[in-house]
Amino acid sequence: MAANTDRDSELDRFLLKQRVERFLYEEASLLDRREQTEWLALLDEDIEYKAPLRVTREHVNDSFSRSAYYFDEDYGSLEARIQRFESEYAWSERPPSRTRRFVTNVRATERDDGAVDAESYLLLYYGQGDDSSYTFLAGRREDVLRPNGETFTIAKRHVFLDHAVPEIDKISVFL
Amino acid sequence: MPPTESKATAQQPDEHADLLAEIEASLGEGKLPLQTFNDETVHQLELDRLFGREWIFVGHESEIPEEGDYARRYIAGDPFIFVRDINGDVQVLFDSCRHRGAKLCRAEQGNTSHFRCPYHGWTYKNTGDLVGVPQKEVAFKNLDQSEHGLHSAPRVDSYAGLVFASLSDSGESLEEHLGEFTWYLDIQFKLPDGGMEVIGEPHRWVVETNWKTGADNFAGDSYHTGFAHHSIKQLGLGGDDTVGIAGAGETKDRHVHCDGHTTSTRMVEGEEVFMTYPDEIVDLFNPDNVTPDQYEAAKEALSFTGSVFPNLAFLNFGDITDDPNKDVTGFLGVRKWRPLGPNKTEIWSWAFAPKRASEETKERIYKVYMSNFGPSGNFEQDDVSIWNGITDVADSTFARHHEVDLNYQMGTEEMSEVAYDEEWPGPGTVYAINLEEVGMQKFHDQWFDHLSTPRDGETMSRDCGGGCGSAKADGCGSTRTDDCGSAHADDHDPATGSEPAGGGE
Repeated sequence: MAANTDRDSELDRFLLKQRVERFLYEEASLLDRREQTEWLALLDEDIEYKAPLRVTREHVNDSFSRSAYYFDEDYGSLEARIQRFESEYAWSERPPSRTRRFVTNVRATERDDGAVDAESYLLLYYGQGDDSSYTFLAGRREDVLRPNGETFTIAKRHVFLDHAVPEIDKISVFL
Repeated sequence: MPPTESKATAQQPDEHADLLAEIEASLGEGKLPLQTFNDETVHQLELDRLFGREWIFVGHESEIPEEGDYARRYIAGDPFIFVRDINGDVQVLFDSCRHRGAKLCRAEQGNTSHFRCPYHGWTYKNTGDLVGVPQKEVAFKNLDQSEHGLHSAPRVDSYAGLVFASLSDSGESLEEHLGEFTWYLDIQFKLPDGGMEVIGEPHRWVVETNWKTGADNFAGDSYHTGFAHHSIKQLGLGGDDTVGIAGAGETKDRHVHCDGHTTSTRMVEGEEVFMTYPDEIVDLFNPDNVTPDQYEAAKEALSFTGSVFPNLAFLNFGDITDDPNKDVTGFLGVRKWRPLGPNKTEIWSWAFAPKRASEETKERIYKVYMSNFGPSGNFEQDDVSIWNGITDVADSTFARHHEVDLNYQMGTEEMSEVAYDEEWPGPGTVYAINLEEVGMQKFHDQWFDHLSTPRDGETMSRDCGGGCGSAKADGCGSTRTDDCGSAHADDHDPATGSEPAGGGE
């Protein structure tokens, strides 16, 4: 019996991870296809979307600011950013950038309230125009996902970029 | 061209002279060669003669509030430790061990009583004093430790908590450098009871832009706002008067050139605007902290944008938000253009708020700052995307072969009816319109004066160039027409921490 229980819970974890991965891949695909309004529909209206600044300290390998951010967004400010990107004069995204989001190292844990803690790594290729140059942004994401039928919505996303000083003209993409 | 011992000059004397002559000819016409925005020779001259000489912003005292707090800071390429020492004094120490030169500071910031060199273990107090030399009795018996403290930046001084350092032993004092422009800076930094403080850590990011493009932009480029940032207005993220077309709105707009620095303001006459800060902040604005004229200016102001020569800039912006459905606020952003190469700049951007504001209000101010400035800012994204194009073409063969010039003639008498504001109570040359580029010309003139004057030269001409003094001769250039060199040589002031750190105690 014990062996079966272990196997069942292992199977549950596997299926959860499978569902979370499928969701994160679809989400990345929407952003890479620049379907940002559709992406917004995946976010809960009470979303907390943050990307704090990394702070290099002598004895700590992973230290982030508690008050300074690349993004500290709610639904309204994210919606405003998307509307701006889709307007005529958003020069930072003219022409629109080419992005490829590689989402890996996914780990998912179900909470007691049914929500899911999902951690993933993100490698984002960023290129623009007829220029040979390109940039990568790398980081780790901690999401809280809420079940929505067979899929999820995003209640919370914290992005921890690996860069101390990003070498990028602007961060005009969602992470 | 006078002879010089500069390394860069020694390598290519002829090219140098030609380039400087070409720049000078362009400046005389209110122009600037495009090439200067991406040129290795110009960059080396800037490092040697501008950043090696001028007062450069290091940080705000509120970033290192406690004894032992430190942050790594830079003057162009040179690393310094910005630290509050055990005596509570602010020091700017050259981050290099006196033994073999290794860097001591391994973090961006932290708190420490000592800096220990990882190479051979020489240890310095946070005052810079050398207090530990391993095996001293055997290896360095006669070493005078008091002579081997960490080097301090040759001169360090502060204004309203803003700490500046100069790599030069001599030259005008910080007070002389800022001159009467403090009239405008006071409004940004001294108005609230309790003063201003930095929120969090500064944004830092590296862009493929020449630093002067950013400096130009903050030296009175009101002209770009309505076009480059049209999306902000379109989306309702900023009010018509904040981001509208220059010269076309309801506001009373002015450009001011003062002692080498510039500011651009938009005001609503007769109204209490205070950059649209929430009441909680406005209540902290105390008329006793400034003069009545300064207080009146702050009261009517919707925005101030400005530049402190050479590479510090600020914007105190009102009627702006992160979401059209939320309240607007003001915020104060301070930025520094750190040159990393002819085509590379690290932008540093700090958010400020009154120290006594509630945490909730500070968070709101920070959020609106971050939504608009910094690498992800709705304003800033669009600027840098455009600036990089300038850097690209500045390196072109075409621009070099054909001496392509950029035009900064707006507001000169040949281009437009120039209206000065004779009634304005503040110092400087005051334009009654924000459509002029003479402020940028003055920035370029000062920049050129530095580049064309060898570092050991003692007679830097500081006249303000065309347009200076035509409205208010007193406010512009009066303290900086000459005398930048020998007069202040050896003018160390221990009170400001400018003595070499190791010489103390």
